[in-house]
Amino acid sequence: MFGYVLPSQSRLDERERERFRAVYCGLCHTLRERYGFAASLLLNYDFTFLAILLSEGGEERCETRRCAVHPCRGCLAQERTPALEAAADRTVILSWWQIQDHIADHGFWRGLKYRAAALALRCAYRKAEERLPCFDAAVCTHLKALAALEDARCASIDMAAEPFAALMADAAADLTDGKRRRILTELLYQLGRWIYLIDAADDLKKDTQSGNYNPLLYRYHPENGALSETDKLALADTLDASIARMAGAYALIDYGVWTPILDSIFYESLYGIGKAVLDGTYRRRRRLRKQARKKKSNEETL
Amino acid sequence: MNDPYKVLNVSPSASDEEVKKAYRDLARKYHPDNYHDNPLADLAQEKMKEINEAYEQIQKQRKAGGYGAPGQSYYGTTSSGYTSADPSMQQIRLAIARGDISLAERLLNAVADHNAEWNFLMGNVCYRRGWLDEARRYFETACRMDPENPEYRQALAAFNNRGYRPQGYQTVSTSCGSDACTNWCMAALCCNLLGGGGYFCLPCMF
Repeated sequence: MFGYVLPSQSRLDERERERFRAVYCGLCHTLRERYGFAASLLLNYDFTFLAILLSEGGEERCETRRCAVHPCRGCLAQERTPALEAAADRTVILSWWQIQDHIADHGFWRGLKYRAAALALRCAYRKAEERLPCFDAAVCTHLKALAALEDARCASIDMAAEPFAALMADAAADLTDGKRRRILTELLYQLGRWIYLIDAADDLKKDTQSGNYNPLLYRYHPENGALSETDKLALADTLDASIARMAGAYALIDYGVWTPILDSIFYESLYGIGKAVLDGTYRRRRRLRKQARKKKSNEETL
Repeated sequence: MNDPYKVLNVSPSASDEEVKKAYRDLARKYHPDNYHDNPLADLAQEKMKEINEAYEQIQKQRKAGGYGAPGQSYYGTTSSGYTSADPSMQQIRLAIARGDISLAERLLNAVADHNAEWNFLMGNVCYRRGWLDEARRYFETACRMDPENPEYRQALAAFNNRGYRPQGYQTVSTSCGSDACTNWCMAALCCNLLGGGGYFCLPCMF
């Protein structure tokens, strides 16, 4: 479900890209130091984004560090900050419950890899749960609500998106600054709604074939897993409305050095990603990117 | 009070024209129309007040010895002065205005007559809650049932208002994005290996 939010390349200069990469690497190191190697494999862009949203606007210190992916050259990584630690804790808890969800969804053989992942993460999850018992409990409750809605084959996309949106919003529940908490709660709620709906649109074809629950199937009744043009417009419209609400909330916080990255996300790339998912080009592009990278690394090894 | 130049994000040596431009851009950003029925409307209003005051103060300073009248700021807050003839609906309106969304919803559910106003208020409740698909449907139903009503039309128009975008960002939307924004910045390493369905590759090992 995670991994959709990315800043758009064309808007950022090299320095901003470096800054984004430094948070990404910083979160990876924080995950590994706090929860062990297995947890660092949970890293993805949405959690990087969460780390940025939870951070203050000041310039953070970075250092060059080596890791399994960059053993020789190393890469610039942000040093541990409270925001990175908070994001790391939430990463472990959210991913753990996501894996539990996969285990419940799949049969014995197909669920085997998720069981293995859960085994590798058990210690990390215990630690994270100790640190954030309220958040863990909230996530568990929301996912139960989600499962109930799925069983009931809920036809309202808002109602179906509510539990996931609410659990994202809970990621900001323990902030001490009341105003900031209010703003981030609103922002993360809409972000959760957007991610849930994007994920549903992305999986529509797959779910039509497999018969898994997908709210869009019940809201729009598409034929052969493809939305009609009018339905696509309606869905695009409601996604736009979510992004506009996020942008409205985002405008109320001063993010200092993160402004260019966040501007590019809220005012542009979310729209582009939504468009690619609705057009069906998102997955294809991801596959192409993956192939290109594989080719490149093969050439380099030769 | 904060430094008014800092609030408007311009340097004290900026020309009158630049100050005005910065002020207008910020006023566009925090304009009440962008926060119509939004749960964060009060915070945007606070911000709006702050930049209005900063702009007035700068104008006053620059007119030193001048007329002494505070400079005029362009944007104020708009408040809808709509009320309802039906006492139960009025009660629901008050609950929404107070931000007591669950009470408003309870009251709405108890009403049997789903007229245009009921649909409008239900849309309002959904909108506050962030249920944007439902909100739109209720607003549209309200407008269909009572096409002449300016309040419902205004709500639908505010819903379709996509808010502020900084300069250079105006054009994109999910239904018709530009191709310029299809290259996403890739930090490019390992993504969600254990979270399921992710991929893992080592792009720059040597």
